[in-house]
Amino acid sequence: MSKITKEQVYDAIRNVIDPEVGFNVVDMGLIYDVDIDDENNVHVKMTLSTRGCPLHQMMQQWVKEAVEKIPGVGEVTVEIVWDPPWNITMASEEVKKALGANLLK
Amino acid sequence: MFNISKDFAPPFKLITPFFISGVIFYLLSMLTALFYPSSFDFHELSIAGWVHLFLIGYVMMIIFGAMAQLVPVVLETGHFSIDWYYLIFPLLLIGTILLIVGFWLDPILLSFGGILVLSAMIIFAVDVFLTIKKTELNSITVKAVKVSNIFLLLGILSGFLMALTLSGFMGVDIDNILKAHVFAVVGGYVMITIMGISLVLLPMFGLAHGFDERPVEIAFKIMIYAVSLVFVGGFLKWDIFKITGYILALLAVVVYFYQIILIYQKRVRKELDIWYKSMLFGYGSLILAIILGFLYILSGGSLNNLLYSSMWLLFTGFFAFLINGHLYKIIPFLVWFHRFSPLVGKKRVPMLNEMYPKKMAEYEFWFSAFGVVISSVGLLVSSDSLFKAGVYLLFMGSVFLAFSTKWMLDFRSDDE
Repeated sequence: MSKITKEQVYDAIRNVIDPEVGFNVVDMGLIYDVDIDDENNVHVKMTLSTRGCPLHQMMQQWVKEAVEKIPGVGEVTVEIVWDPPWNITMASEEVKKALGANLLK
Repeated sequence: MFNISKDFAPPFKLITPFFISGVIFYLLSMLTALFYPSSFDFHELSIAGWVHLFLIGYVMMIIFGAMAQLVPVVLETGHFSIDWYYLIFPLLLIGTILLIVGFWLDPILLSFGGILVLSAMIIFAVDVFLTIKKTELNSITVKAVKVSNIFLLLGILSGFLMALTLSGFMGVDIDNILKAHVFAVVGGYVMITIMGISLVLLPMFGLAHGFDERPVEIAFKIMIYAVSLVFVGGFLKWDIFKITGYILALLAVVVYFYQIILIYQKRVRKELDIWYKSMLFGYGSLILAIILGFLYILSGGSLNNLLYSSMWLLFTGFFAFLINGHLYKIIPFLVWFHRFSPLVGKKRVPMLNEMYPKKMAEYEFWFSAFGVVISSVGLLVSSDSLFKAGVYLLFMGSVFLAFSTKWMLDFRSDDE
């Protein structure tokens, strides 16, 4: 059984788009960590840009389904965490630029 | 196949009647405003009819629909019973119609309309309180939701006493209780709700984090004292309580406005979309309303034009722009959740900013913005022609809002 890489998992999650801002959750900086064990079971630790987001459960589900599409993947679990809270510095440069974020302020 | 959880997003068919009715009531309130002169006495029943058309038919109807969606967002738990909203809607709709017809045509209907609206609001408040019991959160927003609903009940009960009096079943002093009623509903419910909810929505849509929340906490406390003083002062006829309450209420709004500036400075999303422009105009109107309100108090309550234009700015400038601006966020989300979220991962789904009509929304914004400015000046200088010209523009804006709402609710993607 070939071992799944973190890059494969991140690439799969890049297909999950936040419909409000229009960026994928990886570039938004919402994915905090990916853990893959010897059995190819994947544990994703992620956050959301707002607590109580109405898409809370769906985002979790979309990320799970995206990872499950990787051939040979085992069990996939997605955990939502709030610490550290998300902020714009966690997003990619492309996202910051597109949002017009002025981080010098 | 995954489940679409209803915990955080209530069913489409449950919320849309609130928004459709709210927008129709907004259209009607702008249409009927065309028949009012720029000089009037706020004790007139026909004025009370218009105010209830606007505040219950439009503001409350949309707040209630939005709260079906927002209560889980701010409390981070599902409703105690979302199905109760199926009962709240017809009670509120029929109650509002009876109240308006009662004010305009036959006061006997006021008691019947009042009991229906009271029932709707009691059910709404009970659901909110039982939902709060499910959460361990005790944020400023949760406190605001809690306190505002207590004021809502006090406001509606005092209104019901007046309705019984106007229908001939009781004999309370309407002039004094009117102030308690207005303050409990407008200051205690609408303003405190806006304070609490905006602390969630503005950072959520503007992507603002790490701002100081103390100003809104102070504003919230001052507003509680203000509304309590006017409420008690109104029932006991203690003028000193009422005047202190008016001044504190204005102070609370000033401090709240400072909070908005802090959030604005921390936002990272700089898009100048219809939501953002509506917020700018709404909060600008709020500041003008405060200035006119201060001038009215300084005049010793003698210059009614200042009071009327202040209230008009608060209603059509602040409340309406805040509400309508958020409709361009909330309705696309509801439609997206209902129609497109099951398709995620299977085919391309639209983004939320593709799901509102940009041109129509712009027309709505500009007609309404010029309408508010011109009609407010008309009220200030007692010019019927200016007031009517402004209201006509507001009416045009409301027509565009109605078409925009229909466009958003009917949205389907090209490949569907």
